Amino acid sequence: MTFEVRIKKWHAVASWTWNAGDDVCGICRMPFDGCPPDGKYPGDDSPVVWGICTHAFHLQCINRWLQSQTEQKCPFCRRQWEFKQAVVGGEDESEDGAGT
Amino acid sequence: MSTAARKRLIRDFKRLQQDPPEGVNASPQAENIMTWNAIIFGPDETIWDGGVFKLSMEFSEDYPNKAPVVKFRTQLFHPNIYADGAICLDILQNQWSPIYDVSAILTSIQSLLSDPNPNSPANSEAARLYNEDRKEYNRRVKAMVEASWADDGEDEDAEEEEEA
Ligand SMILES: [Zn+2]
Ligand SMILES: [Zn+2]
Repeated sequence: MTFEVRIKKWHAVASWTWNAGDDVCGICRMPFDGCPPDGKYPGDDSPVVWGICTHAFHLQCINRWLQSQTEQKCPFCRRQWEFKQAVVGGEDESEDGAGT
Repeated sequence: MSTAARKRLIRDFKRLQQDPPEGVNASPQAENIMTWNAIIFGPDETIWDGGVFKLSMEFSEDYPNKAPVVKFRTQLFHPNIYADGAICLDILQNQWSPIYDVSAILTSIQSLLSDPNPNSPANSEAARLYNEDRKEYNRRVKAMVEASWADDGEDEDAEEEEEA
């Protein structure tokens, strides 16, 4: 299973204020501004991603979880995991077209 | 070599020390961080009050994407605990989530003690007594709680117990 996430998009996200309720990734327990376990450099190498449920994780961490599962669920709320689109400066999701 | 699983276990251990949850304790074995020994104290003001229960936790390199294998090493009379100490608890099986850590696992097991789920029995006699004869169930649990004190310090002698 593959996930089409263009890392480029997420650079803008890194300038957001964290609204995940916690500034630690729930999976690896490392700070979002630090390295996930397999990352070598903070920042570029450890993008933070949000689900449409608003929960945030390191991209590597959530991908490794989803790849180990048959059902794609958010580790926090168990809702269907879908990557939220990055919206620079926006607070609400402005999805392009396709609803759920 | 420090893998993602090992790094996470080190963080779990730090959190246990900095912010210890009530009534549980755990630490990795000195020579192997993938194997932990844990203790759960019976919840206060329940029939389990005063019990001291030992557990082992085996983590794989897939942790925290996979739950550890957690087993009681103290003999327990409980509807959701098998004779070999294995635990029937949803978060250790199909409801596992990688956001759980050692503290969360142990506190969940602790609350399972006083709040069993008789719909998924691992010990059919305990489940039957829990449903049909609570007085006898309580008596059996209390006897076992008392036995858990005597058990202290001789956890490695499992073979001798079986012979007796
Ligand atoms: Zn992470
Ligand atoms: Zn969520």
